[in-house]
Amino acid sequence: MSISISGLAVSYGQADVIADLDLRIDEGNFFTLLGPSGCGKTTLLRTIAGFVPAARGRILFGDVDVTRLPAHKRDIGMVFQDYALFPDKTVFENVAYGLRARGERGAVLEGRVMKALERVDLGPFRSRKPAALSGGQRQRVALARALVIEPQVLLMDEPLSNLDARLRLQVRETIMELQREARITTVFVTHDQEESLSMSDRIGVMNKGRIEQIGSPKEIYATPATTFVADFVGAANRIPVTLGQGADATRPTVRFGDVVLRARCAGPVPNGEGVLVLRPEDLGMDDSPTTDGAASSLPGSVILRQYLGARTAYKVRLGDGSVLAVDLHGEDHDRFSAGQHVSVSVNPEKALVLAR
Amino acid sequence: MNRMIDVRSVWFWLSVAALVIMFVFIVYPIINIVTSSFSNGGGWSQILSEQRYGEAIANSLMLAAIVTVACTLVGVPLAYVTARFRFPGKSLIVFLPLITLVIPEVIAAQTWLMMLGNNGLITRFFREYGIILPSFYGWFGLVTSMTFIYYTYVYIGTVAAISGFDAHLEEAAQSLGSSPARARLKVMVPVIAPAILSGALLVFTMVIGNFAISIILGHQVQLLSVMTYRAAVSEGGVNPVMQSTLASVSILIVMVVLFINRWIVARGRYEVVQGRGAPPSALRGLEGVLIALAAGTVVLISMLPMISVILGAFTRARGPVMQWGTWTLENMERVFVTAPQPLVNSLVYAGLATCIGISFSTVVSYMIVKKRNLITPLLDYISVVPLALSGTVLGIGLIISFHTGWLPLTGTASIIVLAYVVRRLPFGMRNASSTLYNVPNSIEEASISLGSPPFRTFVRVVLPMMAPAIAAAAVLTWTTSVAELSASILVYSGGRETLPIQIFRLLDSALMAYASACGLTLIGVILLPIMIAIKVFRMDLFGVGKPRSES
Repeated sequence: MSISISGLAVSYGQADVIADLDLRIDEGNFFTLLGPSGCGKTTLLRTIAGFVPAARGRILFGDVDVTRLPAHKRDIGMVFQDYALFPDKTVFENVAYGLRARGERGAVLEGRVMKALERVDLGPFRSRKPAALSGGQRQRVALARALVIEPQVLLMDEPLSNLDARLRLQVRETIMELQREARITTVFVTHDQEESLSMSDRIGVMNKGRIEQIGSPKEIYATPATTFVADFVGAANRIPVTLGQGADATRPTVRFGDVVLRARCAGPVPNGEGVLVLRPEDLGMDDSPTTDGAASSLPGSVILRQYLGARTAYKVRLGDGSVLAVDLHGEDHDRFSAGQHVSVSVNPEKALVLAR
Repeated sequence: MNRMIDVRSVWFWLSVAALVIMFVFIVYPIINIVTSSFSNGGGWSQILSEQRYGEAIANSLMLAAIVTVACTLVGVPLAYVTARFRFPGKSLIVFLPLITLVIPEVIAAQTWLMMLGNNGLITRFFREYGIILPSFYGWFGLVTSMTFIYYTYVYIGTVAAISGFDAHLEEAAQSLGSSPARARLKVMVPVIAPAILSGALLVFTMVIGNFAISIILGHQVQLLSVMTYRAAVSEGGVNPVMQSTLASVSILIVMVVLFINRWIVARGRYEVVQGRGAPPSALRGLEGVLIALAAGTVVLISMLPMISVILGAFTRARGPVMQWGTWTLENMERVFVTAPQPLVNSLVYAGLATCIGISFSTVVSYMIVKKRNLITPLLDYISVVPLALSGTVLGIGLIISFHTGWLPLTGTASIIVLAYVVRRLPFGMRNASSTLYNVPNSIEEASISLGSPPFRTFVRVVLPMMAPAIAAAAVLTWTTSVAELSASILVYSGGRETLPIQIFRLLDSALMAYASACGLTLIGVILLPIMIAIKVFRMDLFGVGKPRSES
């Protein structure tokens, strides 16, 4: 079931929390709403669910307009950050709840519930109360409860935030397996960029009630459309630059310090005032400041070195006082030490210019 | 679509209905009291000119002040000893709140008289040795009996405050050079003071509103509540000027105290310490024996009504003369077989009041907490208003409002049930809403997302989660309704006597044995659900923190 949202506005009191939002999520897609807290992503999700009324605009599930449909008639499955399990009911009864509301009874009900519980490896826990489960188990019950009703749309509101790091990975994998299996249209809300990159078919990055960019994880990461997206998804060095005149609009010439390079450009840059975005892992580093005329290397000195096992994160201060983050992978990635003079090299293919 | 006035929502119309009901049965009676006090020349000039009114008000204030101080002097040390020390017999003290809850004041007053009245057991014992005890009627009896009923309110609050007091604070003060005693005074007292003051002010308002003990033991001491009751009885509902004026005075006093209380609680909030209290240490030697003795004495005196009501119920009597030492089942037989009407009335009225009160407060608190609209804050405010009304005042309000006119309830059982429901409403509401605040919204949304409509969600998910709290509230509403006297004595009509009313009338005729039998039955009726709740359903009835007002 696809989801189409057009001209949506949501307001609390007088202020619009979401204004004029358009979004289409294709059938069977795993779609993530990514953004910082307060950006409106949870409000958007709850509007799709029907818990928050839309002030204007339309929401369609497939061809059906659900804008005015109350939540309980929208045929959704929802997973909450705090699990929201019914504390007085057993695991079995929690999962059976939605089926009972749909009139399912007897052996069919029992069979479907047990199948759902076994799918999340909780069959033996059917008679437990939620209080007797661990956090990961609770969230798996919540998943089974939401999926057993075979909803048209699965909505998840930061379902992993209350779990510790190890459990988060496990439940993340469970969610992905279940979603791929059922091919169910899913909207997933998170503020965790790693989660969104690893799980999603498509990501919508939200900021201040608007969607800044929609794209596949790779598009979002490799070609952020705005500096906000570049900053929020992954780390980025941002260098203000002035674009050379009259050049090819998609490959403008930028100059900073002694470096001149032809960077990529995602869109128009007004007044030639842009920001050069460089991912730390796209930068290279050499032992000594080479003066071989390579226009794309910058002399500096290492001021901080963090060894992180698979990589080493450096901070390098350049001649003009600015600081670049550089991540090195591969062999001997830890070979530089603090205080050492180095030269940082920039790969023009990976350098992206955005409007300021 | 404005969610504050959503005319399509069931909850909106339910909240409108609740507002109408609360307005008619809570606000309208108070308006009537206040307006009546100004009608027909008004009672205010009379109160100001006639000395006996001023005297009664002064006496009531003085009595309240003395009892409050006495309760603090008994309750705080007992609380400190209980929270900080272990000593032989300590487990008995745990039963203290239970004791005062299950003994209605009218029985307490009665049993004090049976022991220390002019013809009391102890009085006669001393008289045989030529010692004449001072008369228990008047100030001596009032202060003694009220103190030993009301000190538990100071005690309960103080125990909680001391148990939650972070012992590290005391140690910190000592490490900075204060002696242990000084450290305690300088650090602990300011922290627990709001709790003590809160309890003390509660006692103050309950003494002001107290009816049963005041009228039974008061005698020549003129008191506001008794005078209000007498004015109501003599005026009836036709031209209720004096009763309304006196009732207004009592409302004013209680409101002032409630505001002071609010102010203290608000100021004291930052002092709430989330620490671990010091573990109780064992008391040994002479000190331990003395403290155990003192605490035991307090418990024993509190238990005295219980003991004497049992003795009295099975003692043969000829009219008012108790034949101590000769036993009989006659008195109990009269309560259960010969004249069972008061017992039946009590069970029916309190049962109805419990069902109505609990359903109403559950639904209304649900709207206040979870279904907010323009009206629900009003419901919240009105629901605490009965706290400012003593039973006598409420009774007067109901009589004036429903004597005749568009809703004549006087003379029916419904006005008694109504009085019970209104008096206990604030406690039922507080209970329900405190549980509801602990039910996260996501639980309801989970149910709705699974296809359950909102009302079904309320019934299937929210109600079960509230069930333990509702049951506890029901038990407490039952116990306090069954014991209610001061409002029902004004609104009841012939043939609708309840057990407390019957006891009150028997005391008037000095029929102590029969009164004791009624009293024992009443205590049984109160105790049974509490026992079942605690033993069978393992409820924490006294963690609810529900203050009881006078019966």
